[in-house]
Amino acid sequence: MPYRLSPLAAVLFTVLLAPCAQALQAGESAPALGGVEAGRVVYVDFWASWCVPCRKSMPALEALYRKHGAAGFAVVGVNKDVNEDDSRRFLQRVPVTFTLVKDADDGLARSFGVKAMPSGYLVDRRGIVRRVHRGFTDATAAELDEEIQSLLREPR
Amino acid sequence: MIRALALAVLSLAVSACAPVAPYQRGHLARPDMAFEDSPGAAKALEKVFVAKEAASGSSSVGGSGCGCN
Repeated sequence: MPYRLSPLAAVLFTVLLAPCAQALQAGESAPALGGVEAGRVVYVDFWASWCVPCRKSMPALEALYRKHGAAGFAVVGVNKDVNEDDSRRFLQRVPVTFTLVKDADDGLARSFGVKAMPSGYLVDRRGIVRRVHRGFTDATAAELDEEIQSLLREPR
Repeated sequence: MIRALALAVLSLAVSACAPVAPYQRGHLARPDMAFEDSPGAAKALEKVFVAKEAASGSSSVGGSGCGCN
């Protein structure tokens, strides 16, 4: 009697899939971020002190911010450390000047559907996610540089 | 049917498994989540053990049976 099994299957499916947040894709609107001037190209980076590639991504993002900040580029670093001292120690070793925010309740990470650390979302001037970077290598930094320049050329 | 549903929901609800999202892995890195109280002391004990037993290679801690490294 398959019609009897279908409600059970539906309940199981709902319960099992409910915690799986949908990952934000390129082309979708980025969730609202406080502290960023409207009309800027923004790179939202989820990082933590325990994330090994973040040791590479943070100085690279700082360099990109210094290079393109005046032209309308901003970086928002969302810290995912449980212990605040860990992030403080990390930032002493790798100082950055871009905006840093905390996400203690995981609200931002959930709304972006972060699937890896670090994850970066390049958002254009209209607030649309144009590129998602998961992980970080030297190649990512070079790609990002080109993508930022291209987005900065787009009209407001 | 209702019993089957209740059983299914109950079995899922009492499960001790919880998915850990990539951004929540900091919780796993907490000192109280480690197997050992003190990683340094554990490593020292392991070194003495492999030196006494001449049983190097049984764990991830490096060392030889001579206890000289």
